[in-house]
Amino acid sequence: MARKRKPRNLRRRNAITGYLFIAPFIVGFLLFLLKPMFESFRMSLSEVTIAAASQKGGKGFVMETITTWKESNYYQAFFFDPQYKTQLVDALKEMAIQVPAIIVFSFFIALLLNQEFKGRGFVRAVFFLPVILSSGVIVGLEYNNALMSSMKGAIEEAGSGMNITATLETVLRTTGLGGKLLDPVFKIIEAVYDVALASGIQIIIFISALQTVSPSMYEAAKIEGCTAWESFWKITFPLVSSMILVNLVYTTIDFLMRTDNQVMTTITHKVTPEMEYGLSAAMAWSYFAIVAVVLGVLAAIISKKVYYYE
Amino acid sequence: MKKRKFRLKRRQPGRSRGGDLGVYIILTLFGVMFAIPLVMAICQAFKPLDELYKFPQTILVYNPTLNNFKDLFVIMGQSWVPFSRYIFNTVFITAIGTAGRLLIASMGAYVLAKYDFPGGRKLFAMITTAIMFNGYVTDIPRYLVISGFGWIDTFLAPIVPALAAPMGLFLMKQFMEGIPDSLLEAAKIDGAKEWGIFTKIVMPNVKPAWLTLIIFAVQELWNNPQSTYIYSEELKTLPYALSQITAGGVARAGAGAAVGLFMMIVPIGIFIFSESNILETMASSGIKE
Repeated sequence: MARKRKPRNLRRRNAITGYLFIAPFIVGFLLFLLKPMFESFRMSLSEVTIAAASQKGGKGFVMETITTWKESNYYQAFFFDPQYKTQLVDALKEMAIQVPAIIVFSFFIALLLNQEFKGRGFVRAVFFLPVILSSGVIVGLEYNNALMSSMKGAIEEAGSGMNITATLETVLRTTGLGGKLLDPVFKIIEAVYDVALASGIQIIIFISALQTVSPSMYEAAKIEGCTAWESFWKITFPLVSSMILVNLVYTTIDFLMRTDNQVMTTITHKVTPEMEYGLSAAMAWSYFAIVAVVLGVLAAIISKKVYYYE
Repeated sequence: MKKRKFRLKRRQPGRSRGGDLGVYIILTLFGVMFAIPLVMAICQAFKPLDELYKFPQTILVYNPTLNNFKDLFVIMGQSWVPFSRYIFNTVFITAIGTAGRLLIASMGAYVLAKYDFPGGRKLFAMITTAIMFNGYVTDIPRYLVISGFGWIDTFLAPIVPALAAPMGLFLMKQFMEGIPDSLLEAAKIDGAKEWGIFTKIVMPNVKPAWLTLIIFAVQELWNNPQSTYIYSEELKTLPYALSQITAGGVARAGAGAAVGLFMMIVPIGIFIFSESNILETMASSGIKE
């Protein structure tokens, strides 16, 4: 009897600890993410008006939704919108090329930056810069400052000014290797600056993961006669594979949620100047469903290959 | 350890000198590419007005001047609320928000990674799915939730919702999966309580993940004007105050460039500080033995 009860007690203790530790997160998650999400779902099926709360003695605004369940006309309105469809397909196509490129690139750079050399801290900081520059101040101030946008243009010009792409493209095309097969390759090369600038966080995540691998494992492998190539595929790759999943999820989301994404622009535009809350919510939900399916499939495939250290 | 002092000695016997050179060349190429925007942003802050509006734009500055900073300080001095107040507000929101998010996300991630409790997997699936949702559309309902709590125009509005970040939890959980169970079991046998295991074993072992999470949070909070939730002048944030300055048009262009530099210094500083303190110290303490 005593033996039988023990696992149950352990289970219960585990459950209590589990809930206690995760409770603060869950509260925040429910209130500030899940509730707004379902509100927006309701909005997508309703007619929405926003009124000042001062009429009722409160601060800010209140939302009044008149639920019109009978017809989900918002969903119909844009699902048959050819413009939205092409935008969506374009975004997904571009994602299929850029996301793998970003992951491979950042993994490669992280491997280089994980090695010992002089001035490593400085080089790491340099590679982290795009994160600050792209997601931070400059983008935020751009709206108010024509100067910053002209600066961004100049940066892009400087980046592509070397014309590596054009030279390479002509070389490859003249050798007869061109055609449809190489188009994705050219796209990657053309987008190399974009890729490099979008890889900041991914590089950091990979470096962090590489740091948790013990050097003694490589030593042991070397003693056993393992080449660097082998130890990369047998040690580094499996131990970092869980972070490939993280980066895949992060990159895909980052790509699909970027403000310069066509679909996102349309949705945001519907919120702010057009005040079409219901329609924008419907668009966001359908976009969310598509992103979730894409990511779900990708993650399901990758997570099968991920190796978790026992 | 001693070997490293001899610079000519190759650190990695498995690789040729040509390989070493190749690595440096690749890093330099990409490094330059990455550094151009920063160099330009720094130079921009020191450019006199005529150079700022030169076309085509130059990356480097030819006649550096400190006038932009002087202008900026003059404008700062004229503000209605002491400028230090804006700085304090932003630092406060960023510091509390980041620390809180690190703790809350780590606590949740720890039990999701290492405890088997009913509903845990479903919860995790739900949290990761929520990352994918378009934030713009939930802005309005979220505002209404916050407004319902009566938090509008207080620091609670920007801080509390920032604490529960699904991306942070996801990241932390993936890192914590990497900690061997045997390490936790050993601690348990030695009499450690759950909280002790969390603070003394799990957290120190995922220090590299802190770096990423801190960067995410600082980026998000530091640059956020928070103007949606805060309208009292004495509670307003630095990015808001600075964007007011840059909104002044051509006359304020110089000061605007100085503002850009000013706002960048802190995230870069935090990165360099945490990189050397968190990442470098982990270098030889790999846990995956």
